[in-house]
Amino acid sequence: MNHPDLDELIGAEVSGAERDRLRHAHELLVVSGPPPEVPPLLERGPTLAMTLGRPRGQVRRRAALLLAAAVAVGIVFVAGYASGNQSAGTSVTVVRTLSLAGSGFAKNASAVLEVQPADAAGNSPMTLVARGLPAPPTDGYYAVWLVRNGKPWGSCGEFVADGVSRTISVRLTAPYQLQKGDSWVVKLWVPGAQGFGRTVMTPVSA
Amino acid sequence: MELAVAAPHLRPVPVDREAVSPDAADAELLARVGERDREAFEQLYHRYVRSVFGLALRRLGDRGRAEDAVQEAFAAIWRSAASYRPERGPAAGWLYAVARNAIIDRFRKAGDPVAEVPELVSAEAGPPERAEASFVSWRVHRALETLSPREREVIELAYWSGMSQSEVAAYLGIPLGTVKTRTRSALAHLADVLEELA
Repeated sequence: MNHPDLDELIGAEVSGAERDRLRHAHELLVVSGPPPEVPPLLERGPTLAMTLGRPRGQVRRRAALLLAAAVAVGIVFVAGYASGNQSAGTSVTVVRTLSLAGSGFAKNASAVLEVQPADAAGNSPMTLVARGLPAPPTDGYYAVWLVRNGKPWGSCGEFVADGVSRTISVRLTAPYQLQKGDSWVVKLWVPGAQGFGRTVMTPVSA
Repeated sequence: MELAVAAPHLRPVPVDREAVSPDAADAELLARVGERDREAFEQLYHRYVRSVFGLALRRLGDRGRAEDAVQEAFAAIWRSAASYRPERGPAAGWLYAVARNAIIDRFRKAGDPVAEVPELVSAEAGPPERAEASFVSWRVHRALETLSPREREVIELAYWSGMSQSEVAAYLGIPLGTVKTRTRSALAHLADVLEELA
């Protein structure tokens, strides 16, 4: 990719030491490359497991029995915490993860769709974490569609983006009995448009 | 069929402490993490998770392994925070060293070879140059986190979308002059933060 030219970026209004400072920041941006897309699990925040370690310098040798007991207590604590979290909806079992990339209107967007097991009634909860989605045109919205046999099968829900938040996370539901080979796309629906709207995000090939 | 169980995430726990300011310096957050302050840890995590993930990705070349390495890196930061001494240098450099060591240690212990992924500067660069490039990316990605969404947007579009400034203006629906003003402001902000992190 061609790197942008500083003169084009900031014009000729800045000069002297300040321009040198901006040039330095510009050169570091060019060298560093874009920041990576952070996986949804990491976006959610630190995990309990990260904070279970004891501070260095405070570790003391203990009798083997006491250590074993502490580990056992820890396992029970983690299991209990995980169980509690699951019931509160913050820990999820994921049966399918799909990466999507934007095109056209949403060409800078990317997303990860996580599909959870269906409930007793047959609804499969899903979470879509999207980054870089622009705000849809007035009264427009995005819709996540199940694709089966290469064709749109049914809607799994709608959402909007404000175009300012870097990452948005929305909960959706697939009210269908999912099959092997099912996939999903994100469409942009604009009132007055013909058909089901334009497809703006499609799965990324593994 | 893929089956994975997410690790439980931290939840705020009421503690008898002064709330952490969103503007708290990294060194202040590290000091509080050293006192086992989970709120400060969460704030520090969100500031650096992109930098740590980027570092792990460059070192390991695989998103899955990089994700695991991030967990290890932050666990190491949690364990070691009390050993940070501000007089020895900026927090960013300390965090970089701890994260980098954790990333390498994790895969050495597992007997998993650490990928020799070329750094962005040059495939011909030697270890010192690669280390320097890694630290540059670390600082820049951390600094980007401090920009406002509008500033970050124009920077990302200008540097990594391939668009010209005129195209950025058309894409965002704002005047070209506004794009330039916003870009100047963002670069000035980045320059300030990069100086602090150096």
